[in-house]
Amino acid sequence: MRLINEITRDGFFWIKENLFQSYLNSLMTLLIVVFIGYLFLDFLGFLINADWTVVEVNRRLLLLGRLPLGNEIRGWLILWFSMILISSSIGIWGSPNIKDFLIIFIISLVIFFIFGTLNSIYHILITYLISFSPYFFSKYFLRKKYFELSKRVLIFSWILIIPIFIIILLIGNGPKPNLWGGFLLNIILASVAIVAGFPLGLILGLGRASSFPVIKIASTFYIEVIRGAPLVAWLLLAWFVLPTFLPNLFGLNEVSIVVRAMIVLSIFASAYIAEVIRGGLQSIPKGQLEAADALGLSTIDSTFNIILPQAIRVVIPALVSTFIAMFKDTSLVFILALTDLLQVGRLIPEQEPEFFGRQLEALLVVAFLFWVVSISLSNLSSRLEKAMGIGVR
Amino acid sequence: MFRTFIFQNFIDWIDRISFLRKRKTRRISFQLLFLGFLGLIIWYFVSKALQLDLGFSHLNSRAGFGLSHTFFIDYSSNDSRWKAYFTGVINTIRICSLGILLTTILGTIMGVARLSSNFLISRISALYIEILRNTPLLVQIVFWQIVFLKLPQISNAITTGGYTAISNRGILIPWIEANPKFDIFFAIVVIAILISIFLKVFLNRREEEKGQKLYSNFIPLIMFFGISLLGLLFTGIPFNWNIPSVAQNEFGTYMQSGGFELSPEFLALLFALVLYTGTFVTEIVRGSIQSLPKGQTEAALALGFSSYQRIILVILPQALRSIIPPLTNQYLNLTKNSSLAVVIAYPDLFMVTRTIINNSGHALPMFFVVLFTYLSLSLIISLIMNLLNRQVTKVRV
Repeated sequence: MRLINEITRDGFFWIKENLFQSYLNSLMTLLIVVFIGYLFLDFLGFLINADWTVVEVNRRLLLLGRLPLGNEIRGWLILWFSMILISSSIGIWGSPNIKDFLIIFIISLVIFFIFGTLNSIYHILITYLISFSPYFFSKYFLRKKYFELSKRVLIFSWILIIPIFIIILLIGNGPKPNLWGGFLLNIILASVAIVAGFPLGLILGLGRASSFPVIKIASTFYIEVIRGAPLVAWLLLAWFVLPTFLPNLFGLNEVSIVVRAMIVLSIFASAYIAEVIRGGLQSIPKGQLEAADALGLSTIDSTFNIILPQAIRVVIPALVSTFIAMFKDTSLVFILALTDLLQVGRLIPEQEPEFFGRQLEALLVVAFLFWVVSISLSNLSSRLEKAMGIGVR
Repeated sequence: MFRTFIFQNFIDWIDRISFLRKRKTRRISFQLLFLGFLGLIIWYFVSKALQLDLGFSHLNSRAGFGLSHTFFIDYSSNDSRWKAYFTGVINTIRICSLGILLTTILGTIMGVARLSSNFLISRISALYIEILRNTPLLVQIVFWQIVFLKLPQISNAITTGGYTAISNRGILIPWIEANPKFDIFFAIVVIAILISIFLKVFLNRREEEKGQKLYSNFIPLIMFFGISLLGLLFTGIPFNWNIPSVAQNEFGTYMQSGGFELSPEFLALLFALVLYTGTFVTEIVRGSIQSLPKGQTEAALALGFSSYQRIILVILPQALRSIIPPLTNQYLNLTKNSSLAVVIAYPDLFMVTRTIINNSGHALPMFFVVLFTYLSLSLIISLIMNLLNRQVTKVRV
């Protein structure tokens, strides 16, 4: 009884301290409660009236686009491969607690509830098995001896993720890039843009911070021009004139539209990554460079061994938010008439009469998928920030 | 580590040649090499570009397409493509200026709210950031378009007592329309503004000299409103209300007229841009306020400032120093993101250019036009913000 009394007293105290400190605060609290209540009731009304058949019928289109029948296994393989990488990375580097597992589990359940069918139940079970076993293995069974080695292997496979994705999609008479679509296309475009844009951005960032005037001016010009026009404009340019600019060798000038989107996204990402890296380079105290000089290191050695490791460490959060922005920007490929996730979600209810007026349901699922990926990445970045002690003095 | 064996030998070999040993020679020769390489690439691109049809003369020919939104410029499909382009530019400027204004207000309020001691308020702000920052802008634009198209049809438009007309064709709000006498009133208002600015400067100076309170905000404000009111009475209220109306014409179709029209496309784009960019501004404001030393807040509390005074007089003016540079970046992002209007057919600069490209080709020159326009818009915004920044950082800490 006393315990309950204490809890209620504490609860009242907390409410008074946090919600009703002053008259103004109380008023704001009441207003917000009314506002939130209104929004919540609205949303509830929508959920009650919602008809999710538009999503149920078009699951496949949303996830894989026009990928020909019989090729679903490629999608599963990509999912499994990335799950292995993600879970073993969590096992080796991360320190998740029960709450994180619960959140991941609930979100995955929601996703499978939306997109899973009775036919794919075995695949889903395999996915869970594949996701958890590398984590437990790396956490509990991996010998200390092999720890460093497995880290190296993991980093290497993260770098190789794009070629592996593309091999999985193309091997054994696979579908042509034109037929890639849905969420798969978003994931592939984003990873290509990041993986190809990062080295290019690194070079450009170093170039902009270089002491050679010619290189500096050229890099600055490149970065500013690319950042000057919006991404849709660059994509439109690629759609119309990129083939003219590619050399007439090995059919290079007849690249498919997906490849054009990849090229433009990588170039665009590189300019933004370069700016982030330049910020990191500027944050390194001048003493570091002078110390390297005093030790007799050459410019190349001091850049790659002294300056860059520190600079990249500082800008990891900013880099991850650039990656998130690139991932969100992959939805702009609508201008190239590619059917990415958003376009599928937008066009289905417009084209099939039975789904008229059901755009919001489809769009909500699309937004949810984008949101899940972005929020996981931003969570990752804030964890990295904490783990590395960036911004803590 | 990065010096392989061959590379090392190469450098040793260069070191042996005396004039190459000079750092300056090496630097210059390396740059010349790079310049040559760059020249080759540029030559390649230019030679390829010359195969295309360059030139802007096609912009003088008839456009041949209509635009749903025209503002300031009277544009019809018989006008030249130049005029279509300028209509697009004005539409872009219109959405960007309104968007920037609203984003700033929203971001500042949400950023301060994020740090509020009221649990509910700070949670709301956090939730707003977490949800809207992590969904693509394009999804949000499409979402708002669907929401605005779900408004009632025009046959049963919401009229709120005959003053507005809200339907899925757009929102019409009452607007003022100028009389001929409006020019005189406008001149009076300008004079009132000048007088109150002069008064404010004068009173501020006197306050600093004498060290006593002279109500340097209050008196000019009263002055301004007093003179404006007098002008209003003098000219005999120089404008009338333009109230929107919905009526059926002889064929039974509903027509809306009058008022100021906010179309669904414009509103969808504005809502999405403001809410999306607002999340980033919120984070900037929050970060800048948090980076201030805690002593500032405590000093303000010790001086007995109210929470409003604390934020407006002590916290925000200092935070503004670190807010403005990243804020400029967000304004530029908003401007560039407004090109996504193409997805909901709001005829902004980019959509007009795309239509021209689709109709007539000339993709490369039209792309240069887009690039040049966005660069100039960015430059103007940066210039204004730099001026503001200079004003803010005038006093050194």
